[in-house]
Amino acid sequence: MARVTRSKPKPKEATPEPPVSTVKPLPSSASNPPKLFVLPKDASPDARIVTLENPANGAPSRYFFCPQEGFYEFTRIVAPKKECRSWLITGEESEEQEQEENRIGAGYITKSADLFVATPIDLLFLLLPALAPKTAKDTKQHFLALDDYLDKLYASSRHWRPLTSQHSSLKTTIEKKLRATCDTVDAGDETMYRLSNDKLLAILIKKAERMVKHGLPPSLEERFIKTALEVPVMNIKREDSSLSTISISEESTENDSQVSTTTTAESQTSISTAITTPDTSTDSSPKSALSTPPQIPHLLRLRTSLSYLSTSYLPPSLHAPVTTHAHTSPTFTPLATHLSALASLRTEAAALRSISDNMSRKRAIEEDDDRVFEREEKKRKKEEEEKKKKSEGRAVKQLKKVDTSGMKKMSSFFVKVAKKT
Amino acid sequence: MLEARLDQAQMLKKVVDAIKDLVQDCNFDCNDSGIALQAMDNSHVALVSMLLRSDAFSPFRCDRNIALGINLGSLTKVLRAAQNDDVLTLKAEDAPDVVNLVFENSANDRISEYDIKLMDIDQEHLGIPETDYAATITLAATEFQRICRDLSALSESVSIECTKDGVKFACQGDIGSGSVHLKQNSNMDKPAESVEIDLTEPVSLTFSLKYLTNFCKASGLSETVKLCLSHEVPLLVEYGLVNNSYLRFYLAPKIGDEE
Repeated sequence: MARVTRSKPKPKEATPEPPVSTVKPLPSSASNPPKLFVLPKDASPDARIVTLENPANGAPSRYFFCPQEGFYEFTRIVAPKKECRSWLITGEESEEQEQEENRIGAGYITKSADLFVATPIDLLFLLLPALAPKTAKDTKQHFLALDDYLDKLYASSRHWRPLTSQHSSLKTTIEKKLRATCDTVDAGDETMYRLSNDKLLAILIKKAERMVKHGLPPSLEERFIKTALEVPVMNIKREDSSLSTISISEESTENDSQVSTTTTAESQTSISTAITTPDTSTDSSPKSALSTPPQIPHLLRLRTSLSYLSTSYLPPSLHAPVTTHAHTSPTFTPLATHLSALASLRTEAAALRSISDNMSRKRAIEEDDDRVFEREEKKRKKEEEEKKKKSEGRAVKQLKKVDTSGMKKMSSFFVKVAKKT
Repeated sequence: MLEARLDQAQMLKKVVDAIKDLVQDCNFDCNDSGIALQAMDNSHVALVSMLLRSDAFSPFRCDRNIALGINLGSLTKVLRAAQNDDVLTLKAEDAPDVVNLVFENSANDRISEYDIKLMDIDQEHLGIPETDYAATITLAATEFQRICRDLSALSESVSIECTKDGVKFACQGDIGSGSVHLKQNSNMDKPAESVEIDLTEPVSLTFSLKYLTNFCKASGLSETVKLCLSHEVPLLVEYGLVNNSYLRFYLAPKIGDEE
């Protein structure tokens, strides 16, 4: 999720106004152009935009904080490059746009058609950087008191301190979250916390299940579920060989493009890499007869959303436990077996493809970077040699043809010496 | 810093012309005693050794030993821009990327200047010992060139047989055989045309004519050529240049297929 990290008009506060909005336009210059926000409807007047550490990558990012509703993250929605490029912001209501702009003065045209939508984010994720071990290797964790964790938060971004001091309710929420995710130990009248991977996983899985309940967004569904579970069509089953060729090449293209088309940019990319494994391994399946067991799509969706969650919201040090769980836990065993079955058939299909379809075999070779490099090197050498050959004169070529049998090399007469120069 | 001025560009032109077909890239090793070059042909059966002593230049200045790796094809191209009588100046920095050639025509004050990019050439350097040859033949360079040319029409190789009677170049080919016999003689009027033979013991060796004709491209450099032969050692073909500078070719004898 590309979060806005700079040049936000600072003084802007969430207006409690119903439908949304609030862009306080700057005089006119483009140095800090107004941005369009879609903010929660019932935000309290105390709501603030704060800069906090992004749990996934540690970069300072903007969040919308409402004392009642909790935290919101901003998702930037970017218009496709070729389509509408700007917003026209006026004082009146503009019919087409889904939100209205409050505007002082005449109209303003923003150059970029970005739209920032605030969506709720679980406070837990914002706390995780403080809870999680600094590196994945650092497994030994200590029990710490709530205040210690708060100190860690304060150290990460300075907005935490005023937030917690101004809104005492926040502190209790934080404590609640800690209780939910941590092992606790009572030391005197103080409670000490340590992040528990199991508890965290349980929460994540719950979240993932909720995410899956209403189905994944179509783009995710298409990319990671449908493609992954697609059963390749084998030549044998088909009478018309040309048809099968087509279906296979389709597959390979799907396989190639892994950049998802969802609105989010950065984290999305990392997700697609994370999911590459299941994606490629599933691609082919045993005979077209192989049916997908009914629970498989659900499991794969679950796993997809789990890795989505972990790549976009978890600190890197927590990725490993989550992914190992997603790949090894008994819940996912049927999925793993199904995927490996698909994988074995995929190799089969690939072998068949390489025989039947020369084009795709060429492509397979080209995909191998090493071999491409090798070939280029060879070609380059050959060209160089050819160039050299062309540049040498006729006499040199003739001399090459001379029969030198019976002639010893010069080095057998004269001794090699180190160069003096 | 290297700065070497040759009164007549033709000397360098001819030297490069003579060896450019034998070797393509070579290092010109410059030090305070002059400019030396040693290179082998592609098959490593022939070797060129050139030395232009500092006396051949006026002035000659070389502060540090420099190896100028030059592609002879490129050098030929640039030297073609020089006229035979031009004054040629070679210049190079201490750690050069390029060698700079300046051609000055004293008659019409024309100055042309060229830079040739240098290359790193990794060549093995052979130590060539002073050898007492069994036979040393001095003859006119053009005569030697003619013999090689004539005999190469018949055969690929020539046997050079030197006895106290004289020297016999003989060959045998598909269409027949031929030989040229030269007796020792001294021509008082034209000393260059005399044939001198200095013999300690008779020798007979066979050589590739193709290589010999190649060596003969240096004929324009000197009026006479010196052939030095000994059993089981390479033939030395030497063209003497001014001030004891020289251009030498070595060629491995053919062993085992003499007829």
